[in-house]
Formats: sequence, structure tokens, C-alpha cells
Amino acid sequence: MTSHGSSGPNEPHDIDPFTVTDDVALVARMRASYDSLPSPDAAQIARCTTAVLSEAMHAPARRLGGSRRPRWWWGAAAAAALVVSVSTVAIRRGRTTAEMPGGVQPVGATTERGDTTRFDLTLPSTAREVALVGDFNGWDERATPMVRRPNDGAWSAAVPLPPGRHMYAFVVDGKKWLVDPLAPQVLDKGYGPANAVVVDGP
Amino acid sequence: MRPHATTSLWLALQLLSATMASPLAAATLVVTTRGDTTHATVSIDTILFRDPQGQFDAARFDTLTANALRLLFDDAASKGLPTAPLINRALEGAARRVSGARILSVVRAHAVALAGAKSALGDGSTVAELDAGADALRAGIDAKTLFVVRSTRPAGAAVTALVVLTDVVNRGVPISTARDAVITIARIPRSDDALLGLQSTVAKNAQRGPGMALEALNRYVRGTVSGAVSPSTPATSDRKPVRPPDS
Repeated sequence: MTSHGSSGPNEPHDIDPFTVTDDVALVARMRASYDSLPSPDAAQIARCTTAVLSEAMHAPARRLGGSRRPRWWWGAAAAAALVVSVSTVAIRRGRTTAEMPGGVQPVGATTERGDTTRFDLTLPSTAREVALVGDFNGWDERATPMVRRPNDGAWSAAVPLPPGRHMYAFVVDGKKWLVDPLAPQVLDKGYGPANAVVVDGP
Repeated sequence: MRPHATTSLWLALQLLSATMASPLAAATLVVTTRGDTTHATVSIDTILFRDPQGQFDAARFDTLTANALRLLFDDAASKGLPTAPLINRALEGAARRVSGARILSVVRAHAVALAGAKSALGDGSTVAELDAGADALRAGIDAKTLFVVRSTRPAGAAVTALVVLTDVVNRGVPISTARDAVITIARIPRSDDALLGLQSTVAKNAQRGPGMALEALNRYVRGTVSGAVSPSTPATSDRKPVRPPDS
């Protein structure tokens, strides 16, 4: 700048910030000044980058609560908080839909026998109660409790279903909704996934 | 305030209170009744709101949500859409204990999708086909694909094809690939079991990655067409957990 007397060939000139009071005019003049400059060479870019990074990365830490703490510290803290929060949400969502603690998935099966469809669910956890909910019982978790088979520990329920497509899900211990991860699913963005079973006509 | 403005305001408030009070009283009665019995509950609202295709238990919603849902159901019925799928979605939301606003949003979106499915699949489609078609549209499958899949099956027999198509797309298979695979198998007579076998194959392999699912799908379709995989493969079988590949 002209006021500092040591202007080089690649530095803006003819701008005195102390004489320019209009911000718009100042910006316009600075842009015009920079536009008229030749492109910097690689050495200049490297020099500027080194100077900026050394200032940012190696700035001495101020005392706690100081107003001029290094900015990279805040950026790193924000990034760490973001990673933790996203991971927590992802883990929670996975557990509420399909996975059980330990990363093991439930295994389900549907079997048609005459007019009745049997739903089986094998859970790798020690659930106290499991209910079958679906459009056939008004999604009422008290309507169709599943019974635990003594031989293999699988939960089972049989319900008469008319031909057509039926949506269903499992409710574990009255609060956790599960779907069979391998059965046909209906992914509703508003609610969450549910399974679908098609019952053949006569 | 001028006298006639005051009168207008009073009349408006009276109308509003009359509108709000009636369903509120009905819901209160229903709650009382539900407390006395277990599952044989007959709600007042269910009696008042007779629907030929389903029953709407308004007691499971707050008053404002129930009234808004009624309007949605009436609007859908006036357009010739089945209301049973909409009632089903509303009840599902109540069971999941989501907010009334979200229930309304989901039911409204499903009503729009049902209208699109009816337009794509035709008036002769069953309620199950329309419901499955609506889910397909909401999964991002276009109406033309629905029409093509529908045309491969006789009336009322496209439910499984639509369910499998939606599921396979949801598991990461590109729509065009899924459509071609489903159409290829759906053209084979009595191939519902084969379609469900396709779904099962894709579901198992999708856990290993989208590429594995795609490869398994192509392999399954080739095997079905060549006869290596029987179209009457059992649709339901004991499924084993899929173990992720060792790295």
C-alpha cells in the first residue's frame, strides 16, 4: 500500500483506508485493485500458506477464558462433538429398528397354514415379553402377545389373516420396535420401518 | 368495538366451541369405556364414523389430530381412494407414539401416494395393490414402472411384485435393475414364490454391500429364467442370520 512505502509488484496500491469512508466504495476499489494485479507465482503462494499456517497452528495458547484463543482449537472441538453426536444417533437408530445389543440381528419367519399365518421371531436377547402388532390388530401391542416356545426359545404367534398385503412389526418389552431385517420391509420416512407379508388368496 | 362486530365475534366463538366440544365429549366417553374393558371396546367415535373399509378409533388420538384425520379420510373417500390404508397408517403412528403432526404428515403423504398409485395402476386394482403401489411411489419408484409391473400380472395379482420391487429398491438396487428383474420373474406364471425368493436373496446379500446384492440379484434372475431356480421355491423358510464377511 502506498501509505506503508514498501509495496511490491504484486500488492494492491492506491488505497488509503483512512480516507475511504464508504464501505461499498472501499470494496469496489479493493476488488478493482486486486483484479489489476498479475497472478501470484507458486513461491508466493507457498510463502503465504506457510505464514498463515504457522500463525494459526503454533500460536501460543492464551490463558483459559481469554478472548483470543487459537481458532483451530475450537474447530477441532466442534468436529469431535459432531462426530460423537452423529455416531450416537446412528447407533440409537440402528438399535430401535433392527439390531439388538451386541450387534446381533433378530431372525423372523412367516408361515402360512390354511387361513392362519404364523409369525416366529428368534431374539438373541433375554426379552421378557414380545408382542406382534400390525394392521390386522390395529397396531395394538396388547392384542397379540407372542408365546415363547420352550424348545428353541423363539417367540411365536399365529393369527388368521385374509388374503392381501399386511404390515407388521414386533414390540419387545413394550417399548422397542423391531423388524425382521430379512423380510420384505416398508420404509416409511415418517415412522420407521415395518415388515410386510403377502397372504395368498384361496 | 362496534356492536355488530362484537356479535360476529361471539357467533364465531360459539361455532368454534360447538365444533370442538362434540368430538372432545366423544373421546372422553371412549376413554372411560376403554378403561372398563380390555379389547372388546366399541368406541362412540367408531360408531359415529362408519367407514366401509376400516374402522377409525378416534380415542387413540388427541382431538385436533382426530378431527384433522377425519377430514383427510373424508377427502380421500370423496376422491374414490380406499381409506383403510390411511386409517392403518394413522393407527400405526398412534401405536408408535409419534406426534399428531407427524401422523397427519404421514397420512397426508400416503393419501397423495394412493392417488398416484390409483392413477398408475388403474381403477380395477385391489386395495392391497394400491397400498403397495403407494409405498412404491414413496420409495422413489416412478408411476411408469408401476404400470409396467402391473401389466405383467392379471388383475389383483400384482401385490407381491410391487412389494418385492419396493423392498429391493430400498435395499440399494437401482430402480431400473430392480424393475427389469421383477418384470422378468413376474411374467412367469405362478411366480410369487420366486419373487419372494428374489427378495430374500437380495436382503441377505445386501448386508454384505450393494455390489453383492446386485450380483446376487442378477445371478438369481438368470437361474430363474434358465430353470435352475424353481419358481415354486418355498417363500417362507427359516432364515439364518447373515454373518458379515471376514475382512
